[in-house]
Amino acid sequence: MRIAALCGMGFGTSMMLKLAVEDVLAAEGIKGEVLSWDVGSFRSQQVDVVVASSDMRRQLEGAEVPVALIDSVVNKDEIREKVLAAIREHQAEGG
Amino acid sequence: MEIIFFIIELLQLPAIILGLIALAGLLLLRKPANQVVTGTFKTVLGMLIIGVGIGAIIDALIPIQNMFEAGIPVGPEGAGLETFVTFDEAVVGAVQDANVAGVGGIIAYTLLFGFLFHLVLARITPFRYVYLTGHMIWIHAGAFAILFHSFDIPDVAAVAAASIATGAYFTLAPALAQPVMRKITGNDEIAFGHGQTLLNMLGAGVGKLIGNPEKTTEEIEVKEGWNFFRDIAISTSIVMLAVAAFAAVLAVIQVGIGGFQEEISNGQNWLVFALLRGVGFVAGMLVLLYGVRMLIAEIVPAFKGIAEKVIPGAKPALDVPVIFPFAPNALLIGLIVGVIAQIVAMVALGLIGWPVPLPSMIVAFFASGAGAIFGNATGGRRGAVAGGFLWGFVGWFMISFAFKFQVFGDLTEMGAAGLAFTVPDAIVPGILIWLVARLFGIA
Repeated sequence: MRIAALCGMGFGTSMMLKLAVEDVLAAEGIKGEVLSWDVGSFRSQQVDVVVASSDMRRQLEGAEVPVALIDSVVNKDEIREKVLAAIREHQAEGG
Repeated sequence: MEIIFFIIELLQLPAIILGLIALAGLLLLRKPANQVVTGTFKTVLGMLIIGVGIGAIIDALIPIQNMFEAGIPVGPEGAGLETFVTFDEAVVGAVQDANVAGVGGIIAYTLLFGFLFHLVLARITPFRYVYLTGHMIWIHAGAFAILFHSFDIPDVAAVAAASIATGAYFTLAPALAQPVMRKITGNDEIAFGHGQTLLNMLGAGVGKLIGNPEKTTEEIEVKEGWNFFRDIAISTSIVMLAVAAFAAVLAVIQVGIGGFQEEISNGQNWLVFALLRGVGFVAGMLVLLYGVRMLIAEIVPAFKGIAEKVIPGAKPALDVPVIFPFAPNALLIGLIVGVIAQIVAMVALGLIGWPVPLPSMIVAFFASGAGAIFGNATGGRRGAVAGGFLWGFVGWFMISFAFKFQVFGDLTEMGAAGLAFTVPDAIVPGILIWLVARLFGIA
């Protein structure tokens, strides 16, 4: 499982999201790698799930993988819920 | 003996010092051995990649400046138009990479001790914030380290003074912004951790005077078409192509196509030469940002892990995009008026003969956009316009001032030719400290 956490520059907000998603994976016992990346070039990366702040909605329209859009990057419950939903969606697609 | 010389010289390399800081953090977090090794290596590589990006940026900027110099005839006082690029990561990266007189090591130690001092302050003062924006931690440590290093004081004193300034900044700036952050986010969970604080607060202050927070930007329709400007690579390419083409046309008017290709472009077609420099800048910028990402990817988790142990329950001060979802319209308004403000300020600075910062889409989007969100929180639509405009306009004068008077020392000599700091949280305290140092005759 490869998950990309995104933001505009690829190292601020996405870094915080990456750390939160890593906590979720560890707690749920899911094996995976999380990268922080910039929204402009993440398509060059092979990933299974994308996590981003919800203001990126428009840039992520038409993404080929499940997307978790987070309203509050400090809300651990929201992140867990949306990321797990996106992971389930990915698994349902046979990934 | 040879091995000792090897180790001593190795330990003076900024990349190695930063790698050791990451190593210590990874060990402290009890990461598995393979992650410790790869994390340390990636930090070192990140610093070296930054150096590669800097090289490409400077290779693009020097010809652009040459074109402006050729294009704008020397005035009566002998001063032509001086242009430069305002880009914090590039300044710190270039200075650390060149490592003139060991300043790169001073930056690395300030990064470590400044953050540790910040944790002490956050622990013992009522300001329980933890500043977690990795590139801003590096930039402010860099700015204050460069500032104190430029004074006539010993290196140890420079590290100590810079660490105190950096730690105080990390602690006080989030506290200063928090009243407005509560208005923006509607709660008290997130703090603001970005070097824009002072100019954003100016926007919020002016917004309060002239506007009404009830008339929020978020009730109006903003054309979504502007959204494509949010892709920094594309919007910066467009702007830098325009800047380079403009400079080339000015130069051709003065020296002619023949003169241009003889003196400036070494035989290459003048317009091709100019356009390549424009996109070359962006290519360098992207490499630089990739390096920054690798550099801080290991240090931030370590700092976060330590902070959680030392100050449980502290509010995280986070990078500026955390406020974007709360006011996307204000963000776009800020981007548009921010570009206008930069151009107005450039013309004004050119007219008074001060150095002119070239337009920056990173600043227009991330800074003027945030200034507009702060202004909207206190003064609605008028506040948003004022916040976005003031950031660009006042910011450009402030940036030009610091460049003109070499507040941070001779950056050209330190390896950052044609580059300057952007963030007011480093420049404003920098100017104040510099004035005091001049008073004591050490600057």
